Amino acid sequence: MDNKTVETISYLARLKIDKDKKEKITKDLENIIDFVAELQDLNTEDIVPLSNPLEKVAPKREDSVASRNRKEAFLSNSPESDQDYFMVPKVVE
Amino acid sequence: MSWETVIGLEVHAQLSTNTKLFSSASTKFGSEPNTQVDLVDLGLPGVLPVVNKDAFKKAIRFGLAIEADINQESTFDRKNYFYPDLPKGYQITQMTKPIVEGGSIDIDVDGDKKTINITRAHLEEDAGKSIHDAYPDKSVIDLNRAGTPLLEIVSEPEISSAKEAVSYMKALHQLVTFLDVCDGDMSQGSLRCDANVSIRKVGDDELGTRTEIKNINSFRFIEKAINFEIKRQIKVLESGEKVTQETRLYDSGKDETRPMRSKEFANDYRYFPDPDLLPVVISDDEMEEIRSTFPELPADKSRRYISEFKIDESEAEIISSSRELSNFFEVAVESKNDPKLAANLIVGEISSLLNKDNIKIDESKLSSDNFNILLQRISDGTISKKIAKTILAEIWETGRNADEIINDQGLVQIQDENLLEEVITKVIESNTKQVEDYKNGKDKLFGFFVGQVMKETQGKANPKAVNDLLKKALNS
Repeated sequence: MDNKTVETISYLARLKIDKDKKEKITKDLENIIDFVAELQDLNTEDIVPLSNPLEKVAPKREDSVASRNRKEAFLSNSPESDQDYFMVPKVVE
Repeated sequence: MSWETVIGLEVHAQLSTNTKLFSSASTKFGSEPNTQVDLVDLGLPGVLPVVNKDAFKKAIRFGLAIEADINQESTFDRKNYFYPDLPKGYQITQMTKPIVEGGSIDIDVDGDKKTINITRAHLEEDAGKSIHDAYPDKSVIDLNRAGTPLLEIVSEPEISSAKEAVSYMKALHQLVTFLDVCDGDMSQGSLRCDANVSIRKVGDDELGTRTEIKNINSFRFIEKAINFEIKRQIKVLESGEKVTQETRLYDSGKDETRPMRSKEFANDYRYFPDPDLLPVVISDDEMEEIRSTFPELPADKSRRYISEFKIDESEAEIISSSRELSNFFEVAVESKNDPKLAANLIVGEISSLLNKDNIKIDESKLSSDNFNILLQRISDGTISKKIAKTILAEIWETGRNADEIINDQGLVQIQDENLLEEVITKVIESNTKQVEDYKNGKDKLFGFFVGQVMKETQGKANPKAVNDLLKKALNS
């Protein structure tokens, strides 16, 4: 773990990290990784990856519409909107 | 130097379910913005996604059709990125254990058959829609599409030309529409394609650097975009430079591809298993149910039409290739109409009218009921097949009832032998030269006389009666 990696992942997660805390965070993350890295010593060859700790399977839903239009409530809950749309800062490719 | 092209396609098929993949909001196209949005689609805290049974059914049906392996236990992962039309900040997809793996699709390019292997097909949710030109300094978001189920179908890089890519897309389009997996409407974005294109020297084992052309939404643009990209890459390589791995967009107006603004960081989606979703298990009983409701595919339909209805092979192939046409044909036949006659009109007159207007049969003004009437009137001798074409053209424009048109325009076929004999006598008397030639052995002139009689009767004469009576008159 180095400063560059911390910068990259904090950018990807859109987290702003104060300059004076960067050292500490880098160190913390390094400790976490070292701790988890102990798992690397285990032999997992014949073990199926666990996709969920609950030993249950997903319930399935019938394909019928059961949701009503709550456009006004949703739009008014957003920082900015017009009559029809959520409004965001301009994003153009 | 000669080059060869390597293409792999990623096709997103919007599944024709009523509701979204993880919420019970409607997926209907074209509704007022943001009216088909659920708490789950908004990604509000505290909500949990619940999978749509039918989305799995449709994905499995596709998998069975391409003879793929179905993972009866599949899982969902999160693909993390930030974009305003993706409220949760991640897309739920199937990275590690997709529902469909393997399988293949047969294509036909100008008579050459080829099999394209499928890597995988997985379920994922669609994003919302961003609109950038509504305001000068704002983008706006419509989340109606957010959460709509997609089946992403990934091919092996085994496609070697733009033409093959188009054939593959057409085969896929036919398959998903017949399976009722996707409505196939490319103009509405129901079926869209990303093409990975690379070039290498003939004989090289290693693949060249690829570019990805995003979101191509018509057969024609697939061919044009890929052909442009092939030429561009060859030019780059022949000038001694290197192809940059990047994502490009096809601009149909300028007929060119150009790079999307490159991101500051390379895409890094940090996939991980979605803790909100348990593994989805499809029981053997559920698999059996899906198998037992498997629809008839074009090749089977075509064979059945030939053996059951004795229609021509070429007609059977054309009708069975389209879901809409085959439905239309089957309704006509179920109503006890002559299958050969129905097939003939569908492949001939009706297909050419459809092509002219570039529409599907269910978008035309010709209803199955009205087609039934038309077929019955030909079979019972009220009208000739020739007149039927005139009536079809009128129905095409106005949608009027066939019987009404026949009555109003006096199109009832002339069967009356006395009346026909009168016309024939007139034709013979005014064409004495041709009659002489005919009698001297110019048999081909018979058609000329038929034509003259038809002209005199505005095409309403019964062709069989005209033939019989003409022969009698000319040979006397």
